[in-house]
Amino acid sequence: MLSTETIYFVIFSSGLAVGFGHCIGMCGPIVASLSLNLKGRSVLAPHLLYNVGRITTYGLLGGIMGATGSFTSVTAGIASLQKGVMVFTGILIIIMGLAMAGWIPLGSIFGDYYNPGGLLSRTFGKLSKTRSTATYYPLGMLLGLLPCGPVYTALIAAARAGMEAPSSLRGSLIGSGLMLSFGLGTVPSLLLVAKLADLGWLKRRDIIYKVSSVIMVILGVYFMVKGIRY
Amino acid sequence: MKLNLKVKLFVAILCLITFAICTTASSTESKPVRIDCDVHAGPCSANISGAKVSLEIEPKPVEAMKDLIFTVTFVGEKPVTNPYIDLGMPGMNMGRNRVILKPAGESLYRGEGVIVRCPSGRRTWKATLTVPEMGVAEFVFDVVY
Repeated sequence: MLSTETIYFVIFSSGLAVGFGHCIGMCGPIVASLSLNLKGRSVLAPHLLYNVGRITTYGLLGGIMGATGSFTSVTAGIASLQKGVMVFTGILIIIMGLAMAGWIPLGSIFGDYYNPGGLLSRTFGKLSKTRSTATYYPLGMLLGLLPCGPVYTALIAAARAGMEAPSSLRGSLIGSGLMLSFGLGTVPSLLLVAKLADLGWLKRRDIIYKVSSVIMVILGVYFMVKGIRY
Repeated sequence: MKLNLKVKLFVAILCLITFAICTTASSTESKPVRIDCDVHAGPCSANISGAKVSLEIEPKPVEAMKDLIFTVTFVGEKPVTNPYIDLGMPGMNMGRNRVILKPAGESLYRGEGVIVRCPSGRRTWKATLTVPEMGVAEFVFDVVY
């Protein structure tokens, strides 16, 4: 039987390993799409918020798992929601792709702010920019619900910890803590993907944006099909 | 059209990432894994240092995202310490999913676990049975979604 501190470390390490060995391949395209959609703006703040949102959802799910001590009943309860999130993600990536290339008149989703001249306009521009950055937190929370094998595995550990806890409250706290540790472990890999997909340093971006838009539309359709079949 | 150095560098990074993803995440698809066990039909057998071990997973059919009972039976040499099973996907890191086995009779060990579902659609899983001081045995099988 591992001590509580050891379990936190083991699950954090698991998150770190899974991040580079799994998430880059499975979730990397979503993160890259979000980076590309920023169109040269700094990726750090939006992606940190996205990750905090994702980890918030993991923490909440871990809390529920720890309180109930049952992995299968909780996942069965949220299965249709996860399916919906997967389809939504596909639609979102398609819209982002089309908007990024200017093929639909929506501007850049989440990065839609103009370059104003006057003081009032500049202030509004900054507010708009802040608001669009802030949307990455709820987006991260929502996408934290995406079905994912390693997240399920970590949730099993949270449910087991809940089963062995002396009370539901204690189980909930441990489960939540475990999932927060797991989520933190996955952050470095996804931030790396976000940074690599950032084109802020690139002068001739138009061609890349057009090519990326097509890839994003294909990727979005792939997610939708997977979501419908899931 | 003449591309500048940064565009070339970006394309090179993109190719590198694509290559890394293709060779790690999809390694199972490029190299087919041999399924050596039909867990839906009955127990699967293997040998560990002179002992014959069998793995039974119930209920059947073996479904992902369901509570499962893992039973390991030894014929011949018996383990000194309790064995355990690590569940994973061949060629894909799915995190640490360990089934702790406890004695449930003469040469019999049992534990509870869950095989999770992968959104990629892959169904092939691997149960690695570790018997301390004796060795390991691997069982590769498909699950039902």
